[in-house]
Amino acid sequence: MNPLDKPYAQLALAVLAVLVLPLFLKSGILATEILIFAMVVAACNLLLGYTGLLSFGQGIFFGIGTYAAGICLTRWQIPVPVVLASAAVLGAATATLVGWLSIRRQGVYFVMLTLAFSQLFYFVAYTFSGVTGGDNGLLGVPRPSVGGTALNAPWSYYTYVAVCFVAVFAILVMVTQSTFGRTLLAIRENEGRAAAIGFPTKLFKLEAFAISGAVTAFGGALHAMLIGVAPLSNIEYHTSELILIMTIIGGSSSLFGSVLGAGFYLLLADALSTVWPRWLLLLGLVLVTVALFLQRGLWGLVERGYDLVFRRERAPETPAEEH
Amino acid sequence: MTDIALQTRGLGVKYGNFHALAEVDLQIRRNSVHSIIGPNGACKTTLFHALTGRVRASSGRIELDGRDITDTSDDDRVRLGIARSFQVTSLFPNLALRENLRLAAQGRTPWQALAPWRRAEANAEALAIADEVIERLALAPVSNRLAGELSHGQQRRLEVGMAMAARPRVILLDEPTSGMGIDDIEAMKQLIRDLGRDHTVLFIEHNMGIVMNISDMVTVMRLGRKLVEGPPAQVRDDPEVQRAYLGNMITGDIA
Ligand SMILES: Nc1ncnc2c1ncn2[C@@H]1O[C@H](COP(=O)(O)OP(=O)(O)OP(=O)(O)O)[C@@H](O)[C@H]1O
Ligand SMILES: [Mg+2]
Repeated sequence: MNPLDKPYAQLALAVLAVLVLPLFLKSGILATEILIFAMVVAACNLLLGYTGLLSFGQGIFFGIGTYAAGICLTRWQIPVPVVLASAAVLGAATATLVGWLSIRRQGVYFVMLTLAFSQLFYFVAYTFSGVTGGDNGLLGVPRPSVGGTALNAPWSYYTYVAVCFVAVFAILVMVTQSTFGRTLLAIRENEGRAAAIGFPTKLFKLEAFAISGAVTAFGGALHAMLIGVAPLSNIEYHTSELILIMTIIGGSSSLFGSVLGAGFYLLLADALSTVWPRWLLLLGLVLVTVALFLQRGLWGLVERGYDLVFRRERAPETPAEEH
Repeated sequence: MTDIALQTRGLGVKYGNFHALAEVDLQIRRNSVHSIIGPNGACKTTLFHALTGRVRASSGRIELDGRDITDTSDDDRVRLGIARSFQVTSLFPNLALRENLRLAAQGRTPWQALAPWRRAEANAEALAIADEVIERLALAPVSNRLAGELSHGQQRRLEVGMAMAARPRVILLDEPTSGMGIDDIEAMKQLIRDLGRDHTVLFIEHNMGIVMNISDMVTVMRLGRKLVEGPPAQVRDDPEVQRAYLGNMITGDIA
């Protein structure tokens, strides 16, 4: 195993990312957005990389968290930590429901089901505009306050999110290292065998969904406070797609790969959008390149780089993973 | 408790409209080595699928130690004491050999593994079982290699080890020697005989040398039904069996 894949190395890299972003970025908003998506993408990775479940439902949970924050903070003055916790619980509950119905089918049909739920929840949010604000979303979502002062400056909210990010990332590292996480890997590898040696595999998949949903909704709530709006776009199918793309770019074999994936995508999108209005086209080309030449994502690149620099003897090629 | 560990009555399995297994009555004595033989397509593997709960019985009932387990799920049956190996090797290829066995040992108490904060190493018992099985199968030199990188013979041994690590009362082995070299076959024969001391062993085998040597009881199947059953010597000389095998497969001698 590459030393960079060790749990403490992963955690150290996450802390490093938090410290390095302010040095290189002018925009505190962008830096905060990167951290929010980094945890959301890592949660998607728990399903894709560790459990082998390609879920198009991540946008649902993100949107649920966004609305939970929007509704709680604009209608009632509930303290932010309570809002974040409720968003996570609601996200876990929704993910359990979506997961419970989706894991009844495998492969393409599973993916189809999560996609269908993603559309369904979008239309529900669109239809019940009395609650969600419909197309306009919920405006005027306040930032949290610490010690009586609202964190309205971008970098002070960044600090708040950074603390949340490191905590969430540490939890996800713990989950993947636990006997639970290692059982997920076994289920991804060979579900039939996992069942034959006694694991109720559906229950494990459900729990993975619940954890993933909790983190994703938590991130969605942080996002609403970042941009001051709970927009309809956060629960759109497009958000699910975005999260999945970041996960795949980052590489699904490591949690920190997800941080790289989120950072890479958002920074590139930011840079390209100032260069050319049709920047999505360029982004498409980048994605094609990654899919063709970087099957293990950016993390695979990091691992190879590490081996080149620190190890004389060539590590044996790991076979490309199929997704 | 009765002397019978595992018993079926009128067991049948359907694949769609195809009646694969039908009317199978089996009585497997505790701590015996019971083998199932029969030509390809005789539904031997299907019988194992039904016994372990991988496929549902369409008729009949299955009892483990007198308890009806016909509707019990496959993972629940592991906890009740049934474990199996597969004819087509089924491992976790990208996990280390030792991790494969640790998982198999953990599978007996899966609820523990639902706690996302509990470390795998905290289950010292599972690790000890894994190491014991590694020792017994002489796989120590490769215990840290990925299962997918092992030689065929090593993978076949690990396949049997996966069943042993569950500490079952009844162990089902589906063609454990398939594709093995001569030396490995001999070792496997010893192992199965040893397993019979403290487990009930049910195994499917095409190698008649092994079947005739170490079985207490042999059941011959054909076209999804039980053809003949009895001690090895009796089965070998049965004219029906000779015909089912066209006389050319029973070659092994009784040592
Ligand atoms: N999943 C399935 N769906 C439909 N038919 C199946 C399925 N599995 C097995 N069969 C059929 O059931 C019959 C018995 O198959 P089975 O694998 O149980 O035989 P077997 O006795 O184990 O044979 P072998 O000695 O070749 O392993 C075969 O005709 C096979 O084609
Ligand atoms: Mg078979």
